[in-house]
Amino acid sequence: MASQDTLSVSEVTPERTWRRFKFPGSLYRYLGLLAAVAFLSLSVNYLNIPLDRFLGMFGRVGDLITDRYYPPDIEYVTDPDYIASVIETIQMAYLGALFGMLAAVPLGWFGAYNVSPSRRFIYPIARLLTMSARAVHETIWAILFVTILGFGMMAGVFALTMFCIGFAGKLFAEEIEAIDMGPVEAIRATGANEFKVMVYGIFPQVRVAFTGIGIYTWDVAFRAATVVGFFGAGGMGWYLKRNVLQIETQRVAAILLSIVVLVLISEAISAFARAKVAKAK
Amino acid sequence: MPILSVSDLKVRYSTSGPEILKGISFDVEPDDFFAIIGPSGAGKSTLIRCINRLVKPTSGKIMLYGDDVLRLGARELRRVRRSTGMIFQEFNLVNRMSVMDNVLSGRLGHVGNLRALFRQFSRQDIARALSVLDRVGLSDHVDKRADELSGGQRQRVGIARALMQDPKLLLLDEPTSSLDPKISREVMALIVEIAKEYRVPVLCNIHDVKLAMEFCNKMIGLQDGVKMFDGPTSAMNEGKLNDIYAMEVL
Repeated sequence: MASQDTLSVSEVTPERTWRRFKFPGSLYRYLGLLAAVAFLSLSVNYLNIPLDRFLGMFGRVGDLITDRYYPPDIEYVTDPDYIASVIETIQMAYLGALFGMLAAVPLGWFGAYNVSPSRRFIYPIARLLTMSARAVHETIWAILFVTILGFGMMAGVFALTMFCIGFAGKLFAEEIEAIDMGPVEAIRATGANEFKVMVYGIFPQVRVAFTGIGIYTWDVAFRAATVVGFFGAGGMGWYLKRNVLQIETQRVAAILLSIVVLVLISEAISAFARAKVAKAK
Repeated sequence: MPILSVSDLKVRYSTSGPEILKGISFDVEPDDFFAIIGPSGAGKSTLIRCINRLVKPTSGKIMLYGDDVLRLGARELRRVRRSTGMIFQEFNLVNRMSVMDNVLSGRLGHVGNLRALFRQFSRQDIARALSVLDRVGLSDHVDKRADELSGGQRQRVGIARALMQDPKLLLLDEPTSSLDPKISREVMALIVEIAKEYRVPVLCNIHDVKLAMEFCNKMIGLQDGVKMFDGPTSAMNEGKLNDIYAMEVL
């Protein structure tokens, strides 16, 4: 009989057992889960979230919109001054993303552990710079640069530059850390210095990814650019602030609508461009 | 005088880790086509990578072209590296660059930073690249991207890149292991021919014993970081091979 030397499933003795999570590990898993649940209930308890107010929220939103924000003052956002501020916002985002990425490419290279020219000195400095740019929120950068440089577009561009350094620098470094080290080794073996290794061994491997990240950075920078104006750093944010303070709610509604539309457009352009780039292997 | 002289080379990747090479010594003469054979994990790749200091040895001495490789500063090390061609198992081409750019990158040790950045290689370099590509039989693929080529063709690009360096020594790290038996033989034969034409000695890591016996004139047998054999291929026999691999090889 042919089946004699093969073991069918039913014949296997059930005493043999196997667990995916073995003893001390399984205990830590459950303890971790328990801690997460405990922290969640603690936070909810501490915040003292009044559920009735939360549930009544939707009705009040409806009232708010019909009473105060509707109809949006569309005429206000077609005013040439406002349009000019929109263009200023786009330019700010463009310049901020451009300067930010120019700084982020070397920072990403220096801050990528696998290829950093010096792991002991340059790497930690590059990481520190990128992290500090990231740690401070773009609105805080805006306030800071308005204080230093005064009101206007320049402060906004600087704030967005810092924001983009933090944003793109981290993504660039992570992208470089994932490259194939074989070509890097080969270029090094030709006697090339670290700069040439970057240009020939590293950059061609990340060029497409960098382009994608660059477009994404511009997209995010544009969203940030609509807000920095709130603190006097140029762009359409200033109009938002003024009308909020003057309780011109229908104008605020129109401005918010225009921001939503612009972000949608920029997101569509960015998605389209990134899809194009992804195809170019 | 030997081109390369290695003495008492020891390597550990970390202070507490195992010793990968346990005191290796050998000489490479100008006419040698040297094979390093041995089982996986014997330290063959590590040994090859020590020669141009892609791996930094723990102790020992490597004299290459009269320079003490382990004592060189960064600039002198690059000078030694640019005269030492290297060919890799996985080809290590930059896939998103053209064949021509990959071959030209062999000249990077000679061109300035700005020229390198804008890919402005001299006319001599370009002429040399074209003739080297002719020699390895890739003149029809100059403008293709490296990843459009087959395995055998890619390794030919790797050979061309190494030749661009005008090498005084070729280091080969398993140049045929990613190729099928027929292509392996062709590539190996091409390397042997080229080594003769350009009068360049070769140090070649290889695990295919048959290929090694056929193409190389000297051999080192490594086992577990220890040199078990060193001599002309003619002195190698079945008994010694079985010792090196701790099994019956042929």
